[in-house]
Amino acid sequence: MATVTTAAPSAQQSTATRRIFNWRTRQMLLAFLFILPAIINFTVFRYIPIAASIRASFYEYSLLRGLGDFIGFDAYIRMASDDTFWKSLQVTSLFVLYKVPLQIVLSLALAVFLTRETFGAGIVRSAILTPMVTSVIVASIIWAMMYHSQQGLIQSILGVFGIPRQTFLSDASRALPAVTVMMIWKDLGFSFIILLAGLKAIPATYYEAALVDGANAWEAFRRVTIPLLMPVLMFVVVTQAVFSFQVFVPVYQMTRGGPLDATKVLVYYIYQQGFRFQDMGYASALSVVALIIMIVISYLLMRWLRPQT
Amino acid sequence: MAVAEQHRGAIAPSVRAENDTLELVKRVANLLLRGVLYAIISLIFLVPFIWMIFGSLRRETEIFQYLFPLNWHTFFPIEWTLQHYEDIFGISDAGKRAGLNFGRNLLNSFIVSTGVVISSLVFNTMGAYFFARLKFPKKNWLLAFVLVTLFVPFEVTMVPLYIVVRYLNIQNTYWAMIVPWFASPFVIFALIQYFRDIPYDLDEAALIDGASYLHVLRTIIVPLAVPGLVTVSLLEFQFIWNLFYWPLIVVQDADIQVLQVVISSQTTQEQTFWGRTFAGSALASVPVIVIFLALQRYYVRGVASTGIKG
Amino acid sequence: MKRNGLMLLVAAALLLAAWGGRAPVQASPTLDPGIAAEPALAQGEPVTVQFLTWQDEDSLIALEKMAAAFVASDPQYANVSIEFTAVPFEQLFPTIETAVAAGAEMDLFAADGPDMKHYAYSEAVVSLAPYYTPEELEQWVPQSVEEGSFNGTFYAPPLMQSCSLMFYNQDMTDAAGLEPPQSVEGWTMDEAWDAWLKTTVDDSGDGVPDVWGLRWGQGTWQGDYEHGIMRRSAGPVGSPTYQGVGEDGITFQGYLDTPEAIASFEDYRAWHIGDRAVSPREPIAEIFFNKQAAFYVSPDNAIGTINRLYPDGDFNYGVTGIPYYEDGAQLCHTGSWHVGVSPQTTNLELSVAIAKFFAGPEGSQIWYDTVRQLPARVDMLNTLPEYQEYPQQMFAEGLTAIGIPRIQTPGYTEYQQIFAELAQNVSQGEGVEVAPLVQDAAVQMEQALAKYEGWQEVEPGS
Repeated sequence: MATVTTAAPSAQQSTATRRIFNWRTRQMLLAFLFILPAIINFTVFRYIPIAASIRASFYEYSLLRGLGDFIGFDAYIRMASDDTFWKSLQVTSLFVLYKVPLQIVLSLALAVFLTRETFGAGIVRSAILTPMVTSVIVASIIWAMMYHSQQGLIQSILGVFGIPRQTFLSDASRALPAVTVMMIWKDLGFSFIILLAGLKAIPATYYEAALVDGANAWEAFRRVTIPLLMPVLMFVVVTQAVFSFQVFVPVYQMTRGGPLDATKVLVYYIYQQGFRFQDMGYASALSVVALIIMIVISYLLMRWLRPQT
Repeated sequence: MAVAEQHRGAIAPSVRAENDTLELVKRVANLLLRGVLYAIISLIFLVPFIWMIFGSLRRETEIFQYLFPLNWHTFFPIEWTLQHYEDIFGISDAGKRAGLNFGRNLLNSFIVSTGVVISSLVFNTMGAYFFARLKFPKKNWLLAFVLVTLFVPFEVTMVPLYIVVRYLNIQNTYWAMIVPWFASPFVIFALIQYFRDIPYDLDEAALIDGASYLHVLRTIIVPLAVPGLVTVSLLEFQFIWNLFYWPLIVVQDADIQVLQVVISSQTTQEQTFWGRTFAGSALASVPVIVIFLALQRYYVRGVASTGIKG
Repeated sequence: MKRNGLMLLVAAALLLAAWGGRAPVQASPTLDPGIAAEPALAQGEPVTVQFLTWQDEDSLIALEKMAAAFVASDPQYANVSIEFTAVPFEQLFPTIETAVAAGAEMDLFAADGPDMKHYAYSEAVVSLAPYYTPEELEQWVPQSVEEGSFNGTFYAPPLMQSCSLMFYNQDMTDAAGLEPPQSVEGWTMDEAWDAWLKTTVDDSGDGVPDVWGLRWGQGTWQGDYEHGIMRRSAGPVGSPTYQGVGEDGITFQGYLDTPEAIASFEDYRAWHIGDRAVSPREPIAEIFFNKQAAFYVSPDNAIGTINRLYPDGDFNYGVTGIPYYEDGAQLCHTGSWHVGVSPQTTNLELSVAIAKFFAGPEGSQIWYDTVRQLPARVDMLNTLPEYQEYPQQMFAEGLTAIGIPRIQTPGYTEYQQIFAELAQNVSQGEGVEVAPLVQDAAVQMEQALAKYEGWQEVEPGS
């Protein structure tokens, strides 16, 4: 609050015309009031904890023993030679690279396919949204059962087609793809519903115009849908990339990072270091690095997918 | 469609009859194909859920017994029972003994999720309006300030956040589960995209006429962004609805605990009460699905506004 | 101009952040011994004690009853109420950590035996040594006292004990013509493996058994409690393999990766993968109770589960000893829940009284009446009629005859994480050699536990 009131007089001297200045400052202040609640929230409930974590990354810090010695950048230096960290970074990147493109393409296709009100479309849409409303813990448990190498439901379905039983979660080369498929299933509704709403927002007149120009469905999709959907598409890609980068619960529930570290994603490793290995200092340093990586990724994605205006 | 209609009108009658049968065959085939696709897509998404619902209606020892090979009883109970539902609502003796009252927990989940959605609708809409429309120096930096908070794994900031909440002395209350989420970087980010779609002339004209920002937001932006607002609120609702770790840490009082935590409590060191877990999950999912269905018209193109065939 | 406003904002945010950054320091627990809430007690004002425990229906019912009995036990406690907060077992450890880090209200907590050393080392539990005479410590079996102690100082009294033996589905053993000896002595690993092979049945003929011979351990996590038995059993009593860890509690090379221990891991691999597989490669939690496995290594709480799932008694089971390596030693891991008093308590004397009552004769009896699992109290083991006859008698006998605590180290949590990953990698890592996995795990354990070096010199309670 204090920042708002003091901002006005300090800015005062440098403006020439008093009236214009007053009007402008007033508008700016009024504008700022709109973002103020969010800034307060983020400062108190996100930045203070983030600052605490950044601080902890320079200390020996275990939750039980409290803050210990100042160790400077030791934790960050340790990362360089920590094979598990690099492995987890690789696993996480693979997960994001498998999941996000596939999920976006699928949900876009489904959203376009199901955007119109035809008989039965409502049921299909609800079906797609169902996994999203099931908690990820329960979904993980059920999928672990379905993947089970001996008696999983998926084995039963494969059996109908005469395919012998397959191992998924306990096979080092298949565990990550298996978790990815489950998470696409789980999160698809998320991107689907956002894209649906985005499609709905595209005025029908644009399509009519395209049709008058003699465009076929594919051309209309490319020339009307995609450009107009770009802001929403960019949003979905960025948020899904960021959320997927932070995947934790399904791995914790289904594979516990194994076998042979095949699914040890970064946040699982962070959790393990912080809560199981008594090293919240190192866990904090790892999350600071995760934070930086995500900032870079989303900055690049946003630039790449920036809507043309 | 309109285009096709015009074309057809121009064609000679004899060719037209032939074309009509062809059109009919095409239509039926199209319809069939659509139906099959609908069925396959629905099944892929619903099978685990259906299995869970039926699992909640059978005896616990049955749940995993008929999984392989695929047969009627993989899904359908041999012995139907409402036992697990009686348990979780604390109606049966076993449920009473365990002190279960999922009805109460369901209510808590509703209170918390609704509380977050309402406060988030107010504050995030304001925030998104600021970013999408208002003039402010270095707005991009402020946007970065907001978005960065998306990037921090919750597992790490949870403990300091708990310390903050304790400092505010709201631990072990509904507030502890609502207040930290009254603004959300995700929601603000999403709403910015929706607000950008609204033509600028509308609100600029109103502002020139002397309307206040708040007035513009209320009378122009919000009414035009209702589908986006509803969609994002639904996502926010299910996000809070499915939170597990935070309520577990911050709430000790069983009377205000949310549904997801008590569902997880059905897994103990030695065993999992699968029937209760499934019944609880069904209880947790069905209301949200109903809400999504009820609000469908906001995120689906209505019958009136026709698009083109995808 | 515009910049100034923003600068101020950033400054304010940083200030706030700095204030937040200090929080963990404030939170480190400080013990204010003795004084606490006694005045309140005297004035008869209501006192509420917070007890953090794990989620389990029977345990919670028992704890509530014990709380009521405690309040009734002495008029000075009439104004005391104990509030139990139960969290799922998996989350108990992180929840205690969080509560400690945040300085949350917590007077008492329950914890698994081996973790108590960790809490003691981290000064997250109050030593109860001043409240017990050496004679009083003899009311429990020695394993419990050892598990509740740190560097020879007693910290936390036990609620119960445990020892894993091997259950069997009698219908299946009858069908295979097997007669498992109903004694703690039981079978050697080779004899047992033959029995598991005989009871692994593939009726459908699709190459995947419909009934498996073996389910080793509870739950689906391959933790140290049951899965850490084989490697120690591979060495004779007193050998490094049997010890499982160096005297210093942080050395694993030469203990975890001895030739005989590695051989036991090779066997563990063969139980899950290959021609002699007897256990599904991916654990199925309910496999024994669903009658899909013939043998089941578990503590005696399995009896309660069977009774719950089959109230009509249509589940024929028996109990035999836990299999062991002939050249090594037979053993079961002991240990169960203990009650710790948190240094964060504002009611120290009262909390101590509660811990003492709960683990005392009256509390333990109430606990046993509801939970029905192996008591830690010597008097109960000797007098409870169930523990004088088969099958429960075997668990009591097993505890004293072959029961040894899990490895004693303040880094048990870290050790167990790495061990469970090792067990998972061995049982699922088809095509990957076992020996390097074990050797690598030993190195990882030493790295993770290096920070505890010198822990035995730590003055308890300092």
